Amino acid sequence: MSLDPGHPQRAVRGFPSLPWDRIMIYACALFVVCWSAGPFVWQMSTSLQLDRHLVSGNPTLIPNPITFDHFINIFVGKSLHRYLLNSVIVAGTTTFLCLLFGAVAAFALARLEIRGRFGILGFILGVSMFPQIAIVAPLYMLASQMGWLDTYRVLIVVYLALGLPLVIWVLFGYFRSIPKSIDEAARIDGAKPLAIFCLITLPMSLPGVVTTGLLSFIAAWNEFMFALAFTSDINHQTVPVGIANFTDVHYIPWGDIAAASVVVTLPLVVLVLIFERHIIAGLTGGAIKE
Amino acid sequence: MPKKLTDGVGKPDGTGMRRRDFIVASGAAVATAAVGALGLPTRLYAQTGRTEITFASPRFFSTDTTQQLVEAYNKSQNSVHVSYVELPPPSSSTEVHQQLVQQLARKTGSPDVFTQDIIWVAEFAAAGWALPLDSYFGADEMKAYLPGVVQACTWKGQLTAMPWFIDSGKLYYRTDILEKLGATVPETWDDLIETAKKGMGGDVRFGFIWQAKQAEILTCDLVSFVGSNGGSILGPDGKTVKIAEPEAKAAVQLMYDTIHKDKITPADVLTWDEEPSRRPFTAGQSVFLRNWSYVWSIAQDKTQSDVVGKVEVAPLPHFAGKKSAACLGGYQYGVNASTKNKEAAIDFLRWLSTPATQLHFATEQGFVPTRLSVFDEPELAKTQPFIQKLKNVSLGAIPRPVTPKYPQVTLILQSEVSRALVSGDVEGSLNKAKAQIEKIVGA
Amino acid sequence: MAVAKTLTREADLPPPEMRFRIWRPGPALLLVPALAAIAAVSIYPVILGFWLSFRDTTLSSPKDTFIGLDNYQQLASDSQFWNAWIHTMEFTSASTLLETLVGLIIALILSQRFLGRGLVRAAMLVPWAIPTVVTSKMFGWLFDGQNGVVNYLLRSVGLIQENVNWYGSPDLALWTIVIADVWKTTPFMALLLLAGLQTIPHSLSEAALIDGANSWQRFWSVRLPLLAPTLLIAAMFRSLDAFRIFDLVYVLTGGGPADSTEVLSTLTYKNLFSALQFGYGSALSTAMFITEIFIALVFGIFILRKFKEAGQ
Repeated sequence: MSLDPGHPQRAVRGFPSLPWDRIMIYACALFVVCWSAGPFVWQMSTSLQLDRHLVSGNPTLIPNPITFDHFINIFVGKSLHRYLLNSVIVAGTTTFLCLLFGAVAAFALARLEIRGRFGILGFILGVSMFPQIAIVAPLYMLASQMGWLDTYRVLIVVYLALGLPLVIWVLFGYFRSIPKSIDEAARIDGAKPLAIFCLITLPMSLPGVVTTGLLSFIAAWNEFMFALAFTSDINHQTVPVGIANFTDVHYIPWGDIAAASVVVTLPLVVLVLIFERHIIAGLTGGAIKE
Repeated sequence: MPKKLTDGVGKPDGTGMRRRDFIVASGAAVATAAVGALGLPTRLYAQTGRTEITFASPRFFSTDTTQQLVEAYNKSQNSVHVSYVELPPPSSSTEVHQQLVQQLARKTGSPDVFTQDIIWVAEFAAAGWALPLDSYFGADEMKAYLPGVVQACTWKGQLTAMPWFIDSGKLYYRTDILEKLGATVPETWDDLIETAKKGMGGDVRFGFIWQAKQAEILTCDLVSFVGSNGGSILGPDGKTVKIAEPEAKAAVQLMYDTIHKDKITPADVLTWDEEPSRRPFTAGQSVFLRNWSYVWSIAQDKTQSDVVGKVEVAPLPHFAGKKSAACLGGYQYGVNASTKNKEAAIDFLRWLSTPATQLHFATEQGFVPTRLSVFDEPELAKTQPFIQKLKNVSLGAIPRPVTPKYPQVTLILQSEVSRALVSGDVEGSLNKAKAQIEKIVGA
Repeated sequence: MAVAKTLTREADLPPPEMRFRIWRPGPALLLVPALAAIAAVSIYPVILGFWLSFRDTTLSSPKDTFIGLDNYQQLASDSQFWNAWIHTMEFTSASTLLETLVGLIIALILSQRFLGRGLVRAAMLVPWAIPTVVTSKMFGWLFDGQNGVVNYLLRSVGLIQENVNWYGSPDLALWTIVIADVWKTTPFMALLLLAGLQTIPHSLSEAALIDGANSWQRFWSVRLPLLAPTLLIAAMFRSLDAFRIFDLVYVLTGGGPADSTEVLSTLTYKNLFSALQFGYGSALSTAMFITEIFIALVFGIFILRKFKEAGQ
């Protein structure tokens, strides 16, 4: 059994040869796609329909007549693009910093002998467990005293604090699962911890890093409560607040909201498609040295 | 440098590109963030010589009408400059409350002028957050407004809110169905139930739709029903609890019966607030609907409604021998008690309360004005005819219980009435409600 | 040659037990940015929350008196609190369990190579990517008793005769919210588990295959044990998040009907920001916090054991 570390196995790994297993997998995959994307497809259909047709007793998937009014409305009337820009800035910065601080911290806890590491992990977890609704008010007072209301930095700092515990714990788990023997071998050859981190640990846990990065991004992208509390003008409000602002006193412009959700979700999906192909496919596996 | 161990580790076929991609992308993100986070002043600049005040209000309209109004004021004079701070949309009323309270409790004087839901007037006044306005707007001046609203804006004899607009619950009905049945517009609940039963059938799946979601809207509906039987939730002194009196019990029993006995109302109303209950009606699925004024313009909009031209509005029915009762809603203006710019704030407030501004809001959005004179404007008759028609309804609208502890009272009401509507135990639930409210209001 | 080099280096380095003392200030410094960010945001509110819970204070009045454990006593006898507590625990267990199971199945499917896998992976992420404000309203509409698509589909297929009142009946409402949450959050678990599966050396699995194990045995004896730490950590975070569920419940039912979907977060929110009872509301938050500690401890014990077993 010789697995050449330089060539990740492709041909037969991971795909069962029995036809029954194959059918099961495709069937399950189809179900997953319908279940996950079904409501979203329905949203897309809603965004192209007149509001009036959305309430009839016979919902139709194919809009008839098709109207692009909603898509026009959200950009012209409701300035969705400005909310999008704010969200990209906030979520992007948060993710980058989260991964930077988090991966470094996780590496330190997993690989470098730090006393009381589980205590520190416990502290990180514990402090993040306080219900967010209880945290909003005191933080608001603090932020307003510091003059940080209506800025990007207040959101970035808060989202960092909310996202780091997950990043650190999850990456800690991944880093721990990498056999120490590899580190040892590299160390014997004179590699410093930084080199080990960048050249061994990170690449080998790249699926984990990309995944936590993606999850942090989406969490920051979708966060509502703090964004609502800390920002009050369109120069800093993020997409969830923007969409919530679509509603009038009582009236909910359903078609507009559906159009906005399509516009807001598609880039994320595309992002995943891009990163997925570059990172996840054909990685690791046999490359891990026995 | 040993390359053996790190070779081929983690690298996809032939490219280190993704690492570079990542670095470039993240570099761009950081650069953008750095620029954005430099805290470039995005708030409005200070105009030299002008007093700066802030106005906090939810944006009521999807078009920027409030912003336009503020700009119009800023252009119309040279001594005050108003910057507009937007609060969450009023549909999420607790969030508006939260944001307002957070700002007012800081007592820094910002925002100088704000808008408050009519149910918060007593609370804000008792907390000392709203500036008493009697010295600026005398009793004579206030005669020009609807007396009911002025009373709702008064706490312990002091005027702490300036009337802006009101809204009240209305009965929407299908003219075509009533015509077909040869029925008249119902004035009592019994009439309504009878007509509804006859009118149901085919596409018209429901007789009467209202709102019973466990939220503030339930209290609004409750006040209408209870009031239509001559009952009330709290006595005029604000401390006697009357929710367990026979009138109130009969009213809640009626609410329960429409769902479970007469079956003219679907059980889904237990989760419906304004919009989910409006939609079946404008899709032509119900004979009657109880809802706010905003439904009128939607019902006449061809892109939204299947019943254009077939809808009319009337006062809500009442119990035999009693009077119709509509629940009073709407936002009013207020001035921050800690404001450092009293004159400027009052000046802005005056401008906001002019008949012209009220007419503007009324014709644009169908908000019922609070100035008596505006009702008779011919322009209003053209664009929003039913406002004039139902002037008496607006005049007679009933406020929800006036007490600074209103937020807690309404939570109790929502919980117990919802339980009553589900279980049918009207007696038990209302007695429990009375006990709990008494503890809060301290009778 | 290399051996000689290695030997030389060995001799030059300090003895193994001393080796890491050289680095000691370093590792701790690496933690500073993360800890600073977390502490800056969390410490002050948490301490303030504790402090307020011992006081009788409302935002709208200047009254602010120390009352010791009175808030907690009131809490213990408050039927609304226990009602919400039970609902929250039910919700947390049901949704975490379901999401872990379904997430695991999805992760296993996606770890296989098949045509269109990339597309499935992207589609799977959609529920997590849609903004919560949209998801809540969307599910409200999907499960609407009268005009919802779900009732329409179920009726067309013949599974039900009449429309089901999903959110309006006290028995079904909470479970409908569970379904909405499972739909929304399963991608979270699936992604984490998938990444965990991908860091497991395939060679181990292959070895078992060559030794004649079928796919179930390979999963149960080889991959699952190695996946266990990741699974436990992900499940722990998920259950702590589920415990604090707020948006879905608040938008869909507001805690009703008849308080049947009231959870601790919504109860706390109403107390804090509707009633402005900051003292009692803080006691509620603290009660949530304490329950979460118990949940985390239970998970933590298992996680620690897994790490010790892995012999690291």
